[in-house]
Amino acid sequence: MNPSLKLALITLIALEVSFVQVWTVNVVLIVVSLLLMLINRVPWRRLLLLTIVPLFFASALVWSLMLRGDASTHFLIVIFTRMFVYVYMGGWFTLTTKPLWLTRSLEQNAKLPSKFAYGFLAAFNLMPKIQAEVSTVRAAALMRGEVLHVWSPRLYFKVILAAMNWSDQLAAAMTSHGFVEGAPRTHSLTVPLVARDWWLFCGSLVLVQVGLFIGLP
Amino acid sequence: MKRWHIRDIILVTIIAIFMGVIFWAIGPVYTILAAALAPFGLQPLANELLLGIWVMAGPLAGFVIRIPGAATLGELLGAVVEMFLGGIWGASTLISGVLQGFGSELGFIFTGYKRYGWFTLAMSTLTTTIVTFAWDLIRNGYAAYHLPFLLLLFCVRLLSVFVFGGVLTKLINNLLVRAHVLKD
Repeated sequence: MNPSLKLALITLIALEVSFVQVWTVNVVLIVVSLLLMLINRVPWRRLLLLTIVPLFFASALVWSLMLRGDASTHFLIVIFTRMFVYVYMGGWFTLTTKPLWLTRSLEQNAKLPSKFAYGFLAAFNLMPKIQAEVSTVRAAALMRGEVLHVWSPRLYFKVILAAMNWSDQLAAAMTSHGFVEGAPRTHSLTVPLVARDWWLFCGSLVLVQVGLFIGLP
Repeated sequence: MKRWHIRDIILVTIIAIFMGVIFWAIGPVYTILAAALAPFGLQPLANELLLGIWVMAGPLAGFVIRIPGAATLGELLGAVVEMFLGGIWGASTLISGVLQGFGSELGFIFTGYKRYGWFTLAMSTLTTTIVTFAWDLIRNGYAAYHLPFLLLLFCVRLLSVFVFGGVLTKLINNLLVRAHVLKD
């Protein structure tokens, strides 16, 4: 399925199940997402993690709502299954979508301005450097006997300075290589957006609507 | 009003990645804290206590970049990074990211993107707390809690957002101003 449509689909469904309280639809969504993950050969350890963590959080939330609130059993089941809907649908999306392909699709199919698409990509390629910079800043502080925590302003200060430097350099590099904001572009790789994608997208949405509004518990 | 250029886009993304790495790194802390509080039915408190760290990307990006939309974009991208690094909450991370970002953006909107001081931060803290809390009333069923407990959750969240999104952001901003990177 086309990455942009896939993203739109899971976001819309997640938004909708947050408002409507029908646990049977939640269960169907969980089963479908699970099947999709199994078909795409998601590793077992990952699946296990995707089950244990929400199991703990959903149980803790339900327990807390029972102790400190006055929710009906129906509502508790809805909340419990809702957590799994988020996690399984999200798992299906992140484990079957490559960030690079998603960005390309957003630019070509969803008409995201190319300065955003390439800006994101340029920055995302710095990920290892950013992680290394954080360790460097911390190590440098340690040499002076200073420990930097998550709540130390100095840590953020130094990383932001580095970020400003890099973004200046990257932007200059892109401009000097002929990148012009807003100029028309050609694409060496095109992300297909075919009728089948639209059918899947609309079909799934319609099915969810039917499930949510025909009076299921 | 300033418009987005490639340099600003790269900068907001790098800040978001940095924050995303932090969001992701405090994941285990959250789990442990939640586990410790869970037996007493206090698990949501773990969420409230740490929420300030999760919403920090918004005000930080808003302060450093000062273009309309910076706070929302910063927080959303932070959520994207967290999602692809292996955070498990999937689509709901993105929705929360947009809402948290927009919550802090509201603070900047109310001051017209002109003032960058305590007042804006206080506004931003308040709007972030209200927007995200409204979302949790729906998403996590907070609406079913008894009122006193609900008020406790709200106050803890407000405090957490103020400490991280407000005080810490202001301290970082002060350092940047002293280094003549940002205007006061």
